[in-house]
Amino acid sequence: MSEYAISIASNMGIIAFVALSAYVILVVGEISFGQQAYFGIGAYVSGVASAMWGWPFAPALALGALAAAAAALAVGVLTLRLRGLYFAIATLCFAEMIRLGLNSVHVQVEVDGELVGPDGAEGFGDIRWIFENNVTPHEFMFMIYGLLGAVLALMLLAERSRLGAVLRMIGQDPLLASSQGIDVRLCKLLAITFAGMLAGLGGCLYAHFATYVEPNVFNVMLGVHGLAYGLIGGLGTALGPMIGVVLDIGFLEGIRAIQGYRMIVFGGLVAVLLIVMPRGILDETRVHRIKRWMRRP
Amino acid sequence: MLNLVSLEKRFGNLLALSGITIGFGRAETVGLIGPNGSGKTTLVNLATGMHGPDSGRILFRGTDITGFGAHRIFRLGVARTFQNLRLFPRMTVLGNVEAARYGIPGNGLLDLLPGGRRSRGSNREKAEWALETVGLQDDRNRLANALPLPRLRRLEIARVLACDPALVFLDEPAGGMTPAESEDMARLIVDRVTPNRTCIVIEHKIELIMQVCTRLCVLDAGQLVADGDPGEVLSLPAVTEVYLGPETADA
Repeated sequence: MSEYAISIASNMGIIAFVALSAYVILVVGEISFGQQAYFGIGAYVSGVASAMWGWPFAPALALGALAAAAAALAVGVLTLRLRGLYFAIATLCFAEMIRLGLNSVHVQVEVDGELVGPDGAEGFGDIRWIFENNVTPHEFMFMIYGLLGAVLALMLLAERSRLGAVLRMIGQDPLLASSQGIDVRLCKLLAITFAGMLAGLGGCLYAHFATYVEPNVFNVMLGVHGLAYGLIGGLGTALGPMIGVVLDIGFLEGIRAIQGYRMIVFGGLVAVLLIVMPRGILDETRVHRIKRWMRRP
Repeated sequence: MLNLVSLEKRFGNLLALSGITIGFGRAETVGLIGPNGSGKTTLVNLATGMHGPDSGRILFRGTDITGFGAHRIFRLGVARTFQNLRLFPRMTVLGNVEAARYGIPGNGLLDLLPGGRRSRGSNREKAEWALETVGLQDDRNRLANALPLPRLRRLEIARVLACDPALVFLDEPAGGMTPAESEDMARLIVDRVTPNRTCIVIEHKIELIMQVCTRLCVLDAGQLVADGDPGEVLSLPAVTEVYLGPETADA
């Protein structure tokens, strides 16, 4: 694999976490424009743990994901009464607060004679865990996909469980779900927290992959892309957002002929798909048909 | 079983229910009628926790459940159907009926854990039985949004049977049905829903009410204007007036 291919593949794997994160919120019937914030929190917190405190990668990753989940839980509690457009705008506002907040965080310590740590808008460099441990881009890519595979397997399993069905019930008719004994708020909070953790995991991987992060990476376009992947790929299964990621980063970015025009083509693709297939390629109806077809004797 | 005491509910300036005091006994089937906007659905919404009352109390089996959320009231054994048909459109018919059991206490959400498979199996069995009871077994694997209205109403009944509540509100179970379909629905309710269960039936179709109910309550402008034996209640001048207007009642 060429270095270019490895970097594209790694990017796809990392962005897939944001897409899954946005997807979980879509499943419970809400739209979040703020999942990039948890990606950013995961990136910063895990970066601080590994670069400033010298933590090994795995605990740094866990800490980043936990911090993102905690932030998502806090935002979730505050926005629990909001629905639809109001929820979407509130998530965007919180995300912007966090991004702008990171612009003014200056916490640096001296490591091996160099200042390391978040330096406001200048960003946070020298997250050198992969260099210090001689991890090749190739190996790191496998780590990304290992983690993504595990997360995806867990989500596909959960979708087959009663918990998965309950989250879909809430997404389709929260009033009916509550009249059938489902604690809608609690379940939504659970989904929001889990979604924050997913985005946080992506952020941790990103920080250690890029070795440098800055607040502007976590702008609203990252969250919008994550959302669009679910909407394109389909909301019927966790594999849907993966299709969106592959279509955009894997396919469009891979075609050299449209270099520089990718966002125009992508925007058009999203618009057309949303008109023709409002719930994406692998929507609930198609997933249902595929399942029936697979079960046929 | 269920006692509503001095219930009052306002929406802005509109007094939707005022001073309603009424009790429903064990295994009683009560009809609830009244013109549009008389407060029937509001009463159901208050009793099932969809809205909170402005004043008054709601007691279920002696427990004060005023202000309880809808999910808590369901878990105590109170279910309902909806006048404007609510279902999970992108789930299968069987999935919709199984889903009615997910909120039952002790029916833990994580059926991935050991022991979960067993409860999943029993949910499936119960849902299959309920579908068969209402005659929807052949539609089990279709998506719910593909069913025609009379079958959707039956699906709502299957949902009630699957979760086996002690008390159920049926909100216009024959709404939008032809006379023959209403007749079938009435038979289904009498045979399968009312035995050993308190049922409160809201309906505009008086024939269905007469077939199903042993007691009839009439609401008008948020107040209870009559309560008693269906035949007697329907012959009261006040009730005829509510339904047909004062001139016709005089004539």
